[in-house]
Formats: sequence, C-alpha cells, structure tokens
Amino acid sequence: MISPADGHTPLTALVVQGITMDFVGLRALENVNLTLRQGEILGLIGPNGSGKTTMINVITGLLRPTAGRIQADGADITGKPPHKIAQTGVARTFQKVKLFRELTVFENVKVAAVSVGMPNRRAKEQAWVALEELGIEAWSGRIAGTLPYGHERKVEVARALAMNPKFILLDEPAAGMDEEESAALLQILTPIPEKKNLGMLIVDHDMNLIMRLCNRLHVLNYGKTIGEGTPEEVRRIPEVVEAYLGS
Amino acid sequence: MKDKPASTATRSHIITLLILLLPLIIIAAVTKLIGNVLFERVVITLFINLILVLGLQAFMGNSGILSFAHIGFMGIGAYASVLFSMAPQMKKLALPDLPLWLGHLQLPFLPSILIGAIIAALIAAVVSFPLMRLSDASAVITSFALLVVIHTILVHWKTVTNGPQTLFGVDRYTHLETSMCWAFIFIALAYWFKESSIGLQLRASRDEREAASTIGVNIILVRWQGFILSAFMAGLGGGLWAHFITSFSPKAFWLKETFVILSMLVIGGPNSVSGAVVGALLVTGAFEGLRGLENQINIAQILPVQLIGLTEIVLSLTMIVILIKRPLGIMGGREFR
Ligand SMILES: Nc1ncnc2c1ncn2[C@@H]1O[C@H](COP(=O)(O)OP(=O)(O)O)[C@@H](O)[C@H]1O
Ligand SMILES: [Mg+2]
Repeated sequence: MISPADGHTPLTALVVQGITMDFVGLRALENVNLTLRQGEILGLIGPNGSGKTTMINVITGLLRPTAGRIQADGADITGKPPHKIAQTGVARTFQKVKLFRELTVFENVKVAAVSVGMPNRRAKEQAWVALEELGIEAWSGRIAGTLPYGHERKVEVARALAMNPKFILLDEPAAGMDEEESAALLQILTPIPEKKNLGMLIVDHDMNLIMRLCNRLHVLNYGKTIGEGTPEEVRRIPEVVEAYLGS
Repeated sequence: MKDKPASTATRSHIITLLILLLPLIIIAAVTKLIGNVLFERVVITLFINLILVLGLQAFMGNSGILSFAHIGFMGIGAYASVLFSMAPQMKKLALPDLPLWLGHLQLPFLPSILIGAIIAALIAAVVSFPLMRLSDASAVITSFALLVVIHTILVHWKTVTNGPQTLFGVDRYTHLETSMCWAFIFIALAYWFKESSIGLQLRASRDEREAASTIGVNIILVRWQGFILSAFMAGLGGGLWAHFITSFSPKAFWLKETFVILSMLVIGGPNSVSGAVVGALLVTGAFEGLRGLENQINIAQILPVQLIGLTEIVLSLTMIVILIKRPLGIMGGREFR
C-alpha cells in the first residue's frame, strides 16, 4: 500500500507502478512508473508508437496489463472493468474520436454524467456546465455524427468533464486542429485542473503547446521511461533530446 | 438559460408522442365507421404487431443488437396468459393434464396477460444474462438459438401447451379499443425507455462500445435490462394476440411472425419509436394491399399460373433495398417532431 505519509505519492493521485504491457511479439510498455496528482497537468510525450495511447488504455481498463499495478485515490483499479474504473473518477478522450454518433451533442455529454451515477436532473446540469466550459453549448441539439472534425474533439473533452472526474486523460486532444484552434483549446484546458482539483494527463505532439501547458512531463520511448520532470528539466535530458526533441 | 432547453425538450417529446398517436386514433375511428369485421381484424392485428415491433425496438433499436428471440417471448406470453385466463371447464377439455391448482385457477383478463408478460420477462432475465456480453454475429446466432429452444419447448411441453396441436377454447378479450389502448401505452413505454437513463446508456453503447464503457456504462447490465423489458413487451403482445385469435399452435411463434416483425422494424428504422410505428403501418398497408392484388390477379387469371407468395417476396425485396439504400430505415433513427 501507498501511505499518504511517505510524501512522494499522495493519496489523491493516480499512481501507476511498474506497468508492463505485452502484445503478441511486442512489448508496448516496460516497467513504467507514473504519478498524476490532482490539480496538476502532466504531459505524456514520446515519438509515435512509444506507448502513450497504450498507457491510457491500460489505465482506463481497456487493456489488462501484463504486470504492474494502478491505484486511483488509493483504490486498486488494476484489472477492473472500464466502467468501474470510470466510476472511481478516471475519465479519458480518444486519439481516434469515439463520439456516440446517433446521439445529440447534449446527450453525448449527459450520458457520461448519468453513467457515473448522477441523478437525471444533476446530470443535465453537469452536462450543461461542461458544454459551457468548452464553449459549445450552441451545438447541444446537433447530432454528433454531423459535426465537423475539429468540433468532435471538444465534445469528447466535454463528455469526459461531465463525469466530474478526479483524473482526466486526454489523448491528443488537439490533433487535426490548426494552430489557432489548438491555441484556443489550450486556453480552455489550462485553468481546469486547478479549478476542479483534477489531475490532467495530456498527450500531444506539439512541443510548444506541451511545454507551455504542463507542470511536469513524462517521456516515453519504445515503451520505456526515458525522462521525467519539469519541462526545463526534461529539455536537458540527453536521451530525450536525442529521441524526440532533437528530431 | 439552463431551464429553457429542458422544457423545450419536454415539449418536443409530447409533440412526438401526439404525432405517433394520431394515426392510430384515425385508423381506429375509420374502422369503427366502416364496421367491417374483416377490416377490423386486420386493424387489430396491426395494433398487436405494432406492440411487438415496439417491444423489439426497445431492445434492438437502443442496443443495436439484432434479436431473433423476440417472437419466442411472444409465445411464452401467449401460452402463459391463457393458463390463467381460461375457464376451468375449458381447461379440462383443452389441457386435461394440467396440475390441479392450475386447472382450477381462473383470473380475469388483465392479470392473466400481465402474469404472462412477467413470466416471459423472468425467463428472459434468467436465460439472457450470459448472452449479453456477445455482440454482432455471435449475438444474432445465439438469439436465434434461443428462439429454437423456446419453440421446441412449446412444441413438446404438451401438459401446458397441448403440444404441436392447436390450443383451442381461449376467450376473446382483445378488441379494437383494447388493442388500440395497449398500442398507445406501448408507444409511450418504448419512448420513455429510449429517453430514460438506461435507454440513453444503451444507445451510447450501441454507437461506441469502448467509449461507453470508459464513461462508466455497464454495458452488460443495461443490455440485460433492455432485453427484459423487451421480453415483457413481447409477452404482453403475445397475451393480447392469444385472446384475439382464440386458438393457436406453436407454429404461430416461429419464423414467419419473426420475419414480419423484424421487417417492420428494419423498414421503419429500428433506432426510433417513430420508425417502429411507421414500419408497422407501412408494412401492414403494403402487405394487405399486395395480398388483395395477388387475389385479384389470381381471380382474373391474368397470368397463366397461380401467383403465390407475391406479398412475401415484395416485402423481402423491399427490406433488402432499404437495408442497402437506407441502413437506418425510413426514419433514419429520427423521431417526428
Ligand atoms: N491492440 C494492440 N495490439 C498489438 N499491438 C498494439 C496494440 N495497440 C498498440 N500496439 C502497438 O504498441 C505500440 C505502441 O502504440 P501506441 O500506444 O498506440 O503508441 P503512441 O500512442 O505512443 O503513438 C505500437 O507499436 C503499436 O503498434
Ligand atoms: Mg497514440
């Protein structure tokens, strides 16, 4: 057990310990340790195929890790089904957008609040708040499948926020957006962790964006941790420069 | 600001329900005016079929899983309700081997069909849970297997079903007004379920299984709940039908009825209650029209051979064309607003 007294791993954190994930003939993650604290923004970066999405899939229960443990707020969630993990307060978005295409934008967001156990009335309020947070309340009546591409990602973020999560894992939330759009999204995302006291893990390729946005970074390469720390610290790690920043 | 969308939503739900109820009232009124017994039988059949389509919609439309078992639960509801409604003297003739307590029991119509529906729902609850983790082809195949199992039991459990022979002596309770009222109730019930929190989660799981599970939807549980409701509705439809047709055999709950109900839902559009209503109305209309045409052609001897099965073939072709051109059916998953 992790005790709150040892200082490094506070109870209000998502703690990933020694996670290894093997696919057939491929080790996608190897002994990765990672801590996401409530109130902070952690950047998870690394070249394509380095295991970032796999990490999020393991945390949210879509994949069962070969080895290792995951705790959310002190509760062991390793190997639990995805819906149970969601109900303990872990939310996510998908790199490849997965909206409920036949539902309205409002229903897409409301169902997330409903599914984590909020009564109907509160779920509606919560959905409305999340839509306003992303500035997309005007689309609430649209069928999600008819939205333009860039808009879909915002609905995904709103859907995850509507769960009122303690931890939110964003898998390339700005992918496919132009610079202006992704800057606008960044503006929206930055204040959220502190305001809602949630831990935000964000995967992105835009180094400028990541460096500005994140309190801490975690760098993966071929499934292994090659560096972690503040953006300034990470920038000075030779392996990171070689594997990622240099290119 | 925050209340406005909610109240407009409520209003639009009411409008949708009114739009769906209106044609039923018109059809029932016209039927009364015409006063033709055969026409009335067609309309009552339409209303009962609509009830069955709505029941199928509750599961299939919201979960996206094709179920062949539906008509099996209709059969359970039909036989089970008759066991409670039939007069003891009649039971001695029709089902002489019934256990004594059941042989002597007689309940009014309403409790009988409700018990029949509850029995169908309970059986669904027990047998379906393990099936709810399956999706796509394996779900379809297992639901078909379930239909076969139910059918086989109905055929061989002679004590309560009279086996493959016709069960006769059922009292007629289902009339035009009865069937219309139940159709109303079922439209509202299917609509309420779709909009309920379970229905919403089910629809989310239909569109994106993984995303639904990661927002907290217990997919197996909501599918199961939907399946039970659907079986309840099918069971009630079966009870109504049994007390309309008054004599029937297990053959009635087999592939022909399965195909009719499925085609109504697929043609109308499974993802909305409006689709279920439109499908039931259109297919019944087309069915009766084609059958009339078929008879006319045969009577007038326009063709050198007797024309048989025109109705079924046209219906099947329509379903194929719709599935290709409009996979979500005529209503495309939308409701009338
Ligand atoms: N379900 C899977 N089965 C087999 N291999 C996979 C699966 N998911 C990911 N991989 C592989 O694992 C590695 C890491 O992938 P991923 O986590 O998607 O990387 P990233 O998100 O960092 O780009 C890649 O080599 C990818 O091909
Ligand atoms: Mg990825």
